[in-house]
Amino acid sequence: MEGNVAALAAGLAMGLGAIGPGIGLGIAVSKAMEALGRNPEAAGAIFVPYILGIALAEAIGIYALVVSLLLIFVA
Amino acid sequence: MPEEEGESLIHVAIEAEELFQLGPLSFTNSMVGALLTSLLLGLAAWYITRRSSLVPGRLQSAFELPVELMSGIVSASSSRWRGYVGLILGFFLTILVANWIGLLPGVGTIGITHIDASGHEAVIPIVRPASADLNFTLGLALVAFVMFVYWGIKANGPSGYLKELLGEPLYMAPLMFPINLISEFSRLISLSMRLFGNVFAGEVLLATMIALAPILIPAVFLGLEVLFGFVQALVFALLAMTYIATAIAEHHTTDHGEADAAGADHPTAAEPAHA
Repeated sequence: MEGNVAALAAGLAMGLGAIGPGIGLGIAVSKAMEALGRNPEAAGAIFVPYILGIALAEAIGIYALVVSLLLIFVA
Repeated sequence: MPEEEGESLIHVAIEAEELFQLGPLSFTNSMVGALLTSLLLGLAAWYITRRSSLVPGRLQSAFELPVELMSGIVSASSSRWRGYVGLILGFFLTILVANWIGLLPGVGTIGITHIDASGHEAVIPIVRPASADLNFTLGLALVAFVMFVYWGIKANGPSGYLKELLGEPLYMAPLMFPINLISEFSRLISLSMRLFGNVFAGEVLLATMIALAPILIPAVFLGLEVLFGFVQALVFALLAMTYIATAIAEHHTTDHGEADAAGADHPTAAEPAHA
């Protein structure tokens, strides 16, 4: 049974941890597309900050993944 | 493929598995992936530079494409970009090749059969993509960490770098110093964990999809993984670039007194107020 509790915790950690980054990524991408629609020439200037922003938002999801991997493989 | 259903079909190991002992070292399958990456990049570099011409042929153009893409982005980051463009390009190409090696057919499936501790028959893949091993990504992140601290000290001097860590009003230093120190080290953790997490999760996703629906469906996810491998290589390289660029640029925003050549052609937002 112990293993099942760890698996439940891992699933919850990943699922709940994906909510925040999901919302954040949605906002970041929608704003980038909006900016691109208003000013298509700015594509080059938007690209690097956009990639960095989604990478930082995604890192939170990766932390959740690491926690759930630890729960499955280590705990 | 074993006959049993369920989890035995999915081969997931969070740590790289040992292939054989090399003296006191254990030679793991991710080392094979890393060596393969170096070998591929070295061979490509040797082959292309041996017969390179001023007017590039078709093959040479293909190899110059990533170089031009990265140097275009890096040259916009700071006026001292020539000092670190090679490092950033190296990160990008190494991670790109290391990620894509994991997508080649046979990489996760061809292996050595052995009996594991619980008595089951298990297959150890001979090649594991290097970036699906935390040791590899942590090593890359350590190089990036050392480099952005080095550039920070080189641009601001040791005292300038320390002043940066202590924070702006000096009486807040007892509070700000630990926070700044933690934020420096958290970059190391997040750089390595992001790459490892993405590539490892991609491997697990592919293994699961192949076990669930072996025909046609995994092709969709393979296509996605090609894209993710590229994006993650780009993200790592761009983050390393931004860290180095900010370590250099912090100098100009804090004190304008000792203006150097690097600051001359990069006016900051604060400067028009002085004029």
